[in-house]
Amino acid sequence: MAKIGVFVCHCGENIAAKVDCTKLKAAMESHPGVSIATEYKYFCSDPGQESIKKAIVEQGLTGVIVAACSPRMHEATFRKACAAAGLNPYLCEIANIREQCSWVHSDGDEATEKAIEITRSLVEKVKRNNELQPILVPVTKRALVIGGGIAGIQAALDIANAGGEVVLVEREASLGGHMAQLSETFPTLDCSQCIMTPRMVEAAQHPNIRLLTYAEIEKVEGFIGNFHVRVKMKARYVDMQACTGCGDCIQKCPQKKISGEFDCGLANRPAIYTPFAQAVPNKPVIDSRHCTYFKNGKCKVCVKVCQTNAINFDMQDEYLDLEIGAIVVATGFQIQDTSLYGEYGYGRYPDVVTGLQFERLASASGPTGGRIARPSDGKEPETVVFIQCAGSRDPSKGVSYCSKICCMYTAKHAMLYAHKNHHGTSRVFYMDIRAAGKGYDEFTRRAIEEDGAGYIRGRVSKLWQENGKLMVRGVDTLLGKPVEVPADMVVLATAMVPQPDAKEFAKTLGIGCDEYGFFNEAHMKLRPVETATAGIFLAGACQSPKDIPDSVAQASAAASKVLALFSREKLEREPIIAMNNEATCSGCWGCVLACPYNAIEKKDITDRAGNLIRRVASVNPGLCQGCGTCVTFCRSNSIDLAGFTEKQIFAAVMGL
Amino acid sequence: MSIQEHYRSRAKELLSSGTVKMVIGYGTGSTPDRRRPVFITSPDETDRLVLDKACRTNLSGYLLREGLLSDQKQVAVFFNLDGVRSLNILAAESQLETAQVLVLGFRIEGEEVTALQGERAADFKSLIAAAKEQRKSQPPHELQEKLEAMTPKERFSFWEAEFSRCIKCYACRQACPMCWCRRCVVDNNQPQWVNTSSHTLGNLEWNLLRAFHLAGRCVECGNCSRACPADIPLHLLNRRMSDEVQGSFDHYPGMDEAQEPVLASFRKDDPETFIL
Repeated sequence: MAKIGVFVCHCGENIAAKVDCTKLKAAMESHPGVSIATEYKYFCSDPGQESIKKAIVEQGLTGVIVAACSPRMHEATFRKACAAAGLNPYLCEIANIREQCSWVHSDGDEATEKAIEITRSLVEKVKRNNELQPILVPVTKRALVIGGGIAGIQAALDIANAGGEVVLVEREASLGGHMAQLSETFPTLDCSQCIMTPRMVEAAQHPNIRLLTYAEIEKVEGFIGNFHVRVKMKARYVDMQACTGCGDCIQKCPQKKISGEFDCGLANRPAIYTPFAQAVPNKPVIDSRHCTYFKNGKCKVCVKVCQTNAINFDMQDEYLDLEIGAIVVATGFQIQDTSLYGEYGYGRYPDVVTGLQFERLASASGPTGGRIARPSDGKEPETVVFIQCAGSRDPSKGVSYCSKICCMYTAKHAMLYAHKNHHGTSRVFYMDIRAAGKGYDEFTRRAIEEDGAGYIRGRVSKLWQENGKLMVRGVDTLLGKPVEVPADMVVLATAMVPQPDAKEFAKTLGIGCDEYGFFNEAHMKLRPVETATAGIFLAGACQSPKDIPDSVAQASAAASKVLALFSREKLEREPIIAMNNEATCSGCWGCVLACPYNAIEKKDITDRAGNLIRRVASVNPGLCQGCGTCVTFCRSNSIDLAGFTEKQIFAAVMGL
Repeated sequence: MSIQEHYRSRAKELLSSGTVKMVIGYGTGSTPDRRRPVFITSPDETDRLVLDKACRTNLSGYLLREGLLSDQKQVAVFFNLDGVRSLNILAAESQLETAQVLVLGFRIEGEEVTALQGERAADFKSLIAAAKEQRKSQPPHELQEKLEAMTPKERFSFWEAEFSRCIKCYACRQACPMCWCRRCVVDNNQPQWVNTSSHTLGNLEWNLLRAFHLAGRCVECGNCSRACPADIPLHLLNRRMSDEVQGSFDHYPGMDEAQEPVLASFRKDDPETFIL
């Protein structure tokens, strides 16, 4: 015989102001199977919980209903209280009469009626609840960090320095990401590579970090603490063990006219190359799309010059299967396709460059050795025009957000230009100057006041070439006048956009992303590092446009989340798992296909002599996540979900 | 030699050589336009086999009779193309192995019955692919067109009226080769999700549930409508679901035995029109 206790919480005024709790209590008291019904101002408080515990012991309750807020809020609290009083926690259910009732209704009488229905429904369910025991699953203490830019490196180092094992996967041939391409960094103007490359080397040499470059994530399966990840190791055609990184092959490769990605097309590279001089690992790869041997079957100059026989044209892509406990996604960003801006002449005029190209021109490791020169003729520009928001905050081009970093790097560009060309003039077209950050506003003021950058508030409408000059026509909205500036070079502050394959990759990982492809956090304010998928965390600009300090901070935050997970030997899992009725299962394996966790196995049913009679589905409790997909797929209703059995759900529905 | 004679002698040959232990085919029925399934196990009985334009029943369901295929021996079955497709689905759903089934294929076009080339399910791949293309251009059934033109309310009354004749005999389930569950969900009374009473709600629940369970699996053989003693045009429900899965997911049931069920598998480029 059921002895159910119903505890109606006022939640201060939150529930009691709308729902007549005394009436609800009275309705429950007369419901069959209910032994006791009480009301109280705050059942989540200490005395509230104590009264529930007392009732369980004194009345010998077989089930508890707390009619209160959302189970998301306090289900754990009340189940713990029940367990402390000796009642199996899964015999406690929460009837949500706040979020789904008092908060959303204006009529008190109707709200009270609804609260009675909701509570009665749960009473009917809990009568049929069973005692369940939690499932313990082990944690693989190995983290996967996807992306070898500054965010990925920081996360990997933080985890590794705390003793965790890390696999760091980078799809390019070298670590570094975008930060390695930058010249100086705001707001301190320290050289980007000087602060970046030591981190790259540290990550590569760290005993706890396994570095996989030129590799991509192929498949992610499993769940928190127990992910199975397949990594595709793209064929480098260079034996990493044998290669000494001497660079002879790079020097001798006859195919030299390939537009270099690292220098944003401002310089060429050969078919066998390292992305940049300080690459980590500093060993080349062969770009098979451009290599003469791959195209024509002849050449092999690199094979001839290599003294360690490291070149191997027969190399194939290889696949690596890893057991992983937690994943940090730090896949970074790309810059928007500038050809969208025909009016700015990008692609038509060689001296219209992107901000990232300007970084390469200003960088000591760049194609000009740090001399700011025009790509068209190599001359130093006398006047440079910077156009901010060339893509950002422009819904008509598909990017309505602010890219966040452009105001700062444009000020930095104007500053670097002033430092390198003392007689030059710089003009900056801007919409607003957004310089929120430590030392940021001071930095932009310095560009304007000390380094003579002329800021014009307004947008550029047109750009054309005239008498060897780039004519920039815009508007100065503060003066209310059109302006025309003859320039030698124009720099576009292009928008930061997600990686082109970000949406696809979000599906591979099983995480969400926004309309642009930036990955979604679990909660914008309170859980900005976690994704909605337990065990997968975010770091850096793959989540939203970020500068270096923000990326590094988030990477360390992600690392701390991973370490918190690794500090536990076992994870306690809710015993909400699928169960199969072998008597009625027909073995169609629809559930096997439908299961996203590979948790369903095939089990042989044999007769006494051991002969196979038929095969049925069997759920592996360690792998099942209780999502219920198999339950909905099974046509014969053979699979059921513990804690949410068909009988329980049916009773709850019929109780309404 | 007529096709009937041709297949009679082929059946005799298969049985006398021991290649198959049984031939499942058609025999004479209670009226001239009806055929009844026959199960021939001896070469002397092959004259009982009939093959003409009245042979419309899909015989694949008989293969699932408990124990029939458990001895690993082969059975030969008369199949039109729909039948071969249902064979593929039964194999895809792990209910049998096509290696145990020898196909005696035929096609009915108007008055004419012709033989199909091939003896194994896989031999009919290109014919099935052609049928898939053909289905796309097929004009809708007259009644179906009428139904599509109705408002949801009119359509509901139409089906309400049709289902009001349903007597819950479950002949549709018995005749359907895809209804092979060991226990039908309607027979599950813990809890009783589907109302078994023969009233409007119970009848709607049962017939719509069956249509959903057949989505992406029905080969439109018509066994259900032919079996229905109340003449409810059940196949129209299944046809509508087939249009849906073919239009949305380019899924044509029974292409081959490796085909994944459309509702339990997904591709990254599946349309997500149902997400608002």
